[in-house]
Amino acid sequence: MAARPRPSTNEAREALQNAMARLAAGDQSALEEIYRATRVKLFGITLRILGDQKEAEDALQDVYVNLWQRADRYDPTRASPIAWLAAFARNRAIDRLRTGKVRAGSVPVEEAAPLADETPLADALLVDAEQAAQIHKCLGALDDRTQSHIRAAFFEGYTYAQLAEAADVPLGTMKSWIRRGLQRLRACLEASEAA
Amino acid sequence: MSGPEDTNPENGVPQEPTRDDPMIAAEWALGLLEGEELLAARGKYATDPAFAWRKEWWDDWFAPLSDAMPGAEPGEHVWDGIAARVATQQTPADAPTVAPLAAANVVQLEAKVRRWQSVAGLSSLAAAVALAWLALTPAQVSVVPLPNQTIAAAPLVATVPIGETGLRLDVTYVPEAKRIVVGAIGLTADGVHDHELWLVPTDGSALQSLGVVKPGEVRSMVLPESITAKLGDRAGLALTREPIGGKPEGKDAGPVVAKGAFTRV
Repeated sequence: MAARPRPSTNEAREALQNAMARLAAGDQSALEEIYRATRVKLFGITLRILGDQKEAEDALQDVYVNLWQRADRYDPTRASPIAWLAAFARNRAIDRLRTGKVRAGSVPVEEAAPLADETPLADALLVDAEQAAQIHKCLGALDDRTQSHIRAAFFEGYTYAQLAEAADVPLGTMKSWIRRGLQRLRACLEASEAA
Repeated sequence: MSGPEDTNPENGVPQEPTRDDPMIAAEWALGLLEGEELLAARGKYATDPAFAWRKEWWDDWFAPLSDAMPGAEPGEHVWDGIAARVATQQTPADAPTVAPLAAANVVQLEAKVRRWQSVAGLSSLAAAVALAWLALTPAQVSVVPLPNQTIAAAPLVATVPIGETGLRLDVTYVPEAKRIVVGAIGLTADGVHDHELWLVPTDGSALQSLGVVKPGEVRSMVLPESITAKLGDRAGLALTREPIGGKPEGKDAGPVVAKGAFTRV
């Protein structure tokens, strides 16, 4: 695992939130501002999922063009902008993966070269530390096997079939394991929200 | 840590979790879904606010995990590509394409289109665009025999329902003009896929590409003889999901996500 997220910088987050709002209002210059602030994190995500520089760059382009087309989809009351953008980028990369053009998980998390600390703004935009702690806690409460499969799905972009093959178990077994894990994960996360 | 599995207290056998909507939303958020299930989830997202909320709920919770993915610097050309694509899309995507119609035979054409419309249940927009190209293409206007339409020249229509989304492609083929009109109103691009339409000939011969579908648009094109020869009553249509730009040369087509067949009006 990488280092724990640092405390977020309110200014950076507010600047990004502001740019997102301006983009939604049709201010095209906001797109470049958002790109400059978030490209390193989002490219890290598309590269991680797609494992191919060219594919990951194409996916990254799609992310920002799509963001420009549909900036109104971002609801500032729901999540931090960077968390939303991170999910958006990963979803787009996964979609691309499902076209069958590229293979999943070419670069294991541990082996991917970390970028030197040269992007303070992107660092400052890391998602909410409390929220991060909670998902790690709830994932950590699952049995090791289930946890590792859910992580593999998230980080490698594996499908049920790929996970089952990698673990050498029947597809139905893998689905049961993961669904049970997701059920418990949901209960744990909802309990934390209620607390 | 390892915890006890959720087991049935009576026989110790693990209970199968219910695959309800929140579960499907979780599977989708994690990226596990593919094929028809993925398409169905997307459709549900567009039409079911509770499902959409739950998908985003999972996205929000999973998002912090991506902090473990190291950042990386994309090439400098990436921004140039984004800026170029934004610039080209900025202009008249929304501009109406139906210009004022003045020709004397427009009334007749309009009546004819209405006739197709009433028979085929075509969307009015598709019909309007069909009318527009008939009226605005001089070569076509001069050759289209308005009266005495024969049975053989009657248009063929097909609807291709998209999963359970309630959305569909409307496809009309006008034999006398060798022209096909593909309406994809209501569909939206996801930015990473294109969908390619294929003619499935009744004689069992190879599928013929009818091109990439443009979401939200009605597109018309003249078909070559090699395709029109195969295009008759009950000829099938298949929609496949492909990378942007359509099926790559030398690769197999992507998964079939929808099907339909032509019937003569």
